[in-house]
Amino acid sequence: MISFKNVSKFYDHNTVLKNVSFNIAKGEMAFITGPSGAGKSTLLKLMYMAELPDEGDITIESVHLSSLKMSEIPMLRRKIGVVFQDFKLINNLTVFDNVALALHIRGISEREIRAMASESLKRVNLRHLAESFPKSLSGGEQQRVAIARAIVGGPVVLLADEPTGNLDPGTALDIIMLFRELNDQGTTILIATHNRELLRNTDKKTLKLEGGTFVQEEIV
Amino acid sequence: MTASSYSFKSAFKSLAKEKWINILSTLTVGSSLLIITLAVFFLYNIEFIANHLPERFSMMAYLQDPISQEDTQKIIDTLRTRPEVLKVRYISKEEALLELKQTLKDSTHILEGLDENPLTSSIEIKLRKEFVTPATTSRMATEIKKMPGIDTIYYGERIAEAIHMLKRSVQNISIIIFLTISLGVVFVTYSTVKILFYRKKEEIEILKLLGATGSFIRAPFLIEGGVIGLFGGILGVAGAFVFYFAVTYRLSMVIPMLKTLIFPIGVLIALPFVGIILGVIGSAIAIGRIRLW
Repeated sequence: MISFKNVSKFYDHNTVLKNVSFNIAKGEMAFITGPSGAGKSTLLKLMYMAELPDEGDITIESVHLSSLKMSEIPMLRRKIGVVFQDFKLINNLTVFDNVALALHIRGISEREIRAMASESLKRVNLRHLAESFPKSLSGGEQQRVAIARAIVGGPVVLLADEPTGNLDPGTALDIIMLFRELNDQGTTILIATHNRELLRNTDKKTLKLEGGTFVQEEIV
Repeated sequence: MTASSYSFKSAFKSLAKEKWINILSTLTVGSSLLIITLAVFFLYNIEFIANHLPERFSMMAYLQDPISQEDTQKIIDTLRTRPEVLKVRYISKEEALLELKQTLKDSTHILEGLDENPLTSSIEIKLRKEFVTPATTSRMATEIKKMPGIDTIYYGERIAEAIHMLKRSVQNISIIIFLTISLGVVFVTYSTVKILFYRKKEEIEILKLLGATGSFIRAPFLIEGGVIGLFGGILGVAGAFVFYFAVTYRLSMVIPMLKTLIFPIGVLIALPFVGIILGVIGSAIAIGRIRLW
């Protein structure tokens, strides 16, 4: 499903990722951990091509990202659902419209959009807030909207960058439970987090990044 | 709702949200397009006059004296076969004298001392208007003068040159005015859309990350530019109508000559379309190429 082979990324003369290699199988859920600045966000950005690697090869669903033309990037991004650390919601759109936006981009009909967006909001228990605006929601609720938008298009993989970074421990746990549910329903999930509390008692694959390279691949 | 109807909805939402900047841009585009229309109005009328001047232009070929009737007919026939020639009129010595006498009216005593008619017979040649250019008239004059039986030719080269220069100047001024003001309109929509584009930078980044194509991102801005151009064009048409009625109804009471002015209606119909095209061009330049990473 996801394969990194000797991937390196440099910013000016700083090495952010060095010879990173790993595989994530279809339907798997995995965590990338490590302190702030370890390269977790960069690693995720390389997958949805917000950044390009300087060395190595990345494959998602048998597609070598290096072989993609710029015009093919939107199609890749539609296959990947991303939950951003800062949510990246559009404040002048309602919760429903924020979720629906991901479907408008795909050129889906209005009728289908209504059904799919409602279903997605139901999955994250936010249907009652569909007409609210993001600014009126709590951090946890905004994160759920971001998740609903990420999963609405039926992505082959869901990436989450510090999804609990701005949340209190109780809400953070709820969000992680939600990811587990989505994973149980068959979605491949990769979560980058520095919060090791979330990994306690997990049976999921955990990849630890430090100084831009994996120091161990562990099951906590 | 398809992607295109979403783009329209998004564009109209933005037009309403940023109404003041959009109203100001529309007014600016409208005034600019009105200037184009007025310029076209004046230049069209000048061109109209310039186009009718060649109809009054003629060449006079004076025949040798004496000349036989057969030779005269041969010259007339040769001239009639030329593609540049519209009409040929033979003026005999007697007709020429009669015309001179009519012109002189009360001063015919000037001619009293003459024993015989001093004038020669001549041929008046009227050209098709597209051939009334300095180059053609000069070439024709040289060729006709070489014909046997022709004594001299007068063709008013200065008039041909003046008509040609007037037409050329009108065309050049039209092009300069149109290009300058069109650039102005493009710049106005460019600036407006650039501002809107920067205001929505964050939203555009989100759209890119969600998998939007460049054209999906670009479409609402192009529509917005087009709408500014369209309403600018409609304003221009309205302004032009006000001007037209002011000139033909009010001012023509004082200056009756103004009643003969022609208003090119085609320009009015085209104006909103010109507005749309210029608006879309301005927007397209403002957005530029969208990089997806």
